Amino acid sequence: MQDTIIELGGVTKTYQQGKLDVRAVDALDLKIRAGDFAVLCGPSGSGKTTVLNMMGLLDAPTRGTVTFEGRDVSGLSAAQRATVRRDRIGFIFQAYNLIPVLTAMENAEFIMDLQGVPRPERRVRVGQILTDVGLAGLEDRRPDELSGGQQQRVAIARAIAAGPAVVLADEPTANVDSETAATILDLMETLNRERGVTFVFSSHDSLVIERAGRVVRLRDGHLESDEARS
Amino acid sequence: MLAKMAWRNLWRQKRRTLITCGSVAFGVFLAFTLTGIAENSYFRLVDTGAMMGSGHVVFQPEGWDLHPSLDRTLADATALQREADADPRVRTTLVHIQGQAMFASGSKTAGGAFIALDPAREGPDVNLFLRCLKEGELFAEAGGDGAVVGERLAQRLGLRLGKKLVYTSTDKRGEIVSDVVRIRGIFRTGVAEVDASTVLLPIDRVRKTLGYAATEATTVSVLLRDQQDAPDVARLYREAQRGAGVAVLTWDEAAPDLAGLIAVDRGMNRLFQIFVGLLIAAGILNTILMSVLERQREFGVMMAVGMPPTRLVAMVLVESVFVAVVGLIAGIVATVPWYLYLATVGIDLTPMLGDGYNVGGVLMDPTLRLFLRPRHVLAVLAGVFGLTILAGLYPAIRAGLVQPVESIRLV
Ligand SMILES: Nc1ncnc2c1ncn2[C@@H]1O[C@H](COP(=O)(O)OP(=O)(O)OP(=O)(O)O)[C@@H](O)[C@H]1O
Ligand SMILES: [Mg+2]
Repeated sequence: MQDTIIELGGVTKTYQQGKLDVRAVDALDLKIRAGDFAVLCGPSGSGKTTVLNMMGLLDAPTRGTVTFEGRDVSGLSAAQRATVRRDRIGFIFQAYNLIPVLTAMENAEFIMDLQGVPRPERRVRVGQILTDVGLAGLEDRRPDELSGGQQQRVAIARAIAAGPAVVLADEPTANVDSETAATILDLMETLNRERGVTFVFSSHDSLVIERAGRVVRLRDGHLESDEARS
Repeated sequence: MLAKMAWRNLWRQKRRTLITCGSVAFGVFLAFTLTGIAENSYFRLVDTGAMMGSGHVVFQPEGWDLHPSLDRTLADATALQREADADPRVRTTLVHIQGQAMFASGSKTAGGAFIALDPAREGPDVNLFLRCLKEGELFAEAGGDGAVVGERLAQRLGLRLGKKLVYTSTDKRGEIVSDVVRIRGIFRTGVAEVDASTVLLPIDRVRKTLGYAATEATTVSVLLRDQQDAPDVARLYREAQRGAGVAVLTWDEAAPDLAGLIAVDRGMNRLFQIFVGLLIAAGILNTILMSVLERQREFGVMMAVGMPPTRLVAMVLVESVFVAVVGLIAGIVATVPWYLYLATVGIDLTPMLGDGYNVGGVLMDPTLRLFLRPRHVLAVLAGVFGLTILAGLYPAIRAGLVQPVESIRLV
């Protein structure tokens, strides 16, 4: 049996919009297991981002529980949640992931720097990871000197550099062309297969969705289907 | 990494940062200039006042400041002078007899004040009246019959060099006494009241007239090398003179009007500077806040991946520290040549202020100069630095309050 990393139990998230309650996520049960290569899909507004935010301890559910590595996170302070995010979760956002004033190398090192990993050790590990994601030779470029696809690779490098339990990616390929999207998917797949990095990502894109090992479909905040593929 | 990021963040908007640093530098320049002008005028005011007879520290008979009359004296002024002269902080010590008198020449009379002094110890470097000598010279002998008078008094009494002047006063026992002297010099300070009432007389001759002993006088004025030593020096003498019937006053105790004037002016000047400082700080706050609001999304990402809000606050604060440091350095670089020029050469304002420019009856040098002590420099630097950090505080806190979920949505 695989270890469960994240468990959503009866999670509901409602937003107040004027007098109206918008139910972005409704009584959702979902488990993310180690080694998953799972995609969250569904139409716009179906709740993908909201689910990822709750999984990533960025947002708290209105009702229900989020359990991260066996621990109910509702009791954690903001600072404790920040520490869990730093040490256990990698994040990749749709765009503008990187800190503009830092080089590719420095961006990829960022989390290890927050963790207090000494610089020589950081440099060795991140140097290797940047090579693995195909950015050898571009270490000293700033984000604005990199293409969109290269920027996403740096974001991936940052997300995996500190060895997180899970990487959460909200539409990581939405801002790049389909060719680049495919190479980013290749990279994520390789990391999942060869290093056992757990990925949960969201997408609209059927080309992306069909590459996933597990497809979780959402509709109006409900779980529509959850299929494993091999 | 924090400092590196902060430093690079500054130069993302070069122009804006340069303008911000420029306003810090301008604040430094302005504060140094305003403080320098004010402190210079206080400094001159005190030194000039001291050279008009009262010294930086003065020995007087007890109660003399309330009832200055010629029957109260210091029995051994010479001993006090010797004691003070031994102190390395003392530039010179002057023994005076100061009192009121009627002056007459021919049929004309006028009331006024005299200062009896020893010509051997006084000159233009310690006595303002002698610096303003217009005609003639200082009488040569302490026991001679010379006198130096103010220009207006001379005009009123129709005096010229070589003419006789009769002064009438009360002696030590309260008897009316008088004596005749000859005009040897005429001074013009430019301050009308002073020029119309002051006469310098030879001290030994006045002693004889008033029935004083050879060491007796009314005041011993101590001129210091640096006026700021006055409280320390006075404290020392006060202890030495305890119970001897001798009062020891610092210049501000001897001239409370002048001291009050300076205190009020200094207060106003400080208030004005704080006000201008706050205006400049508001501009700095505005630009730092703008730079924070522009970076909300970036801050959201940083916090999402695990940067604690406190570190973000620290980073923005470090940015303002850099602005402050760069601005201070630029301000100092801009101020040094200006200061050196104004401290040594100065700008002559006589055409604007006219002759006899005075503050509260004390003659002022009409040259714009700057004078700063190390503590003023430190106060200005600390004040500007503090205000800049203060301006960065609110934006920094705002940065720490960024909500990752909401700010990441802002693409
Ligand atoms: N802060 C908010 N305030 C109000 N309503 C919100 C907020 N965030 C999300 N919603 C609403 O919740 C629902 C789910 O939004 P969510 O962003 O999770 O959808 P999504 O599946 O990520 O959509 P998309 O594919 O467009 O990114 C939507 O109806 C949205 O309008
Ligand atoms: Mg979304």
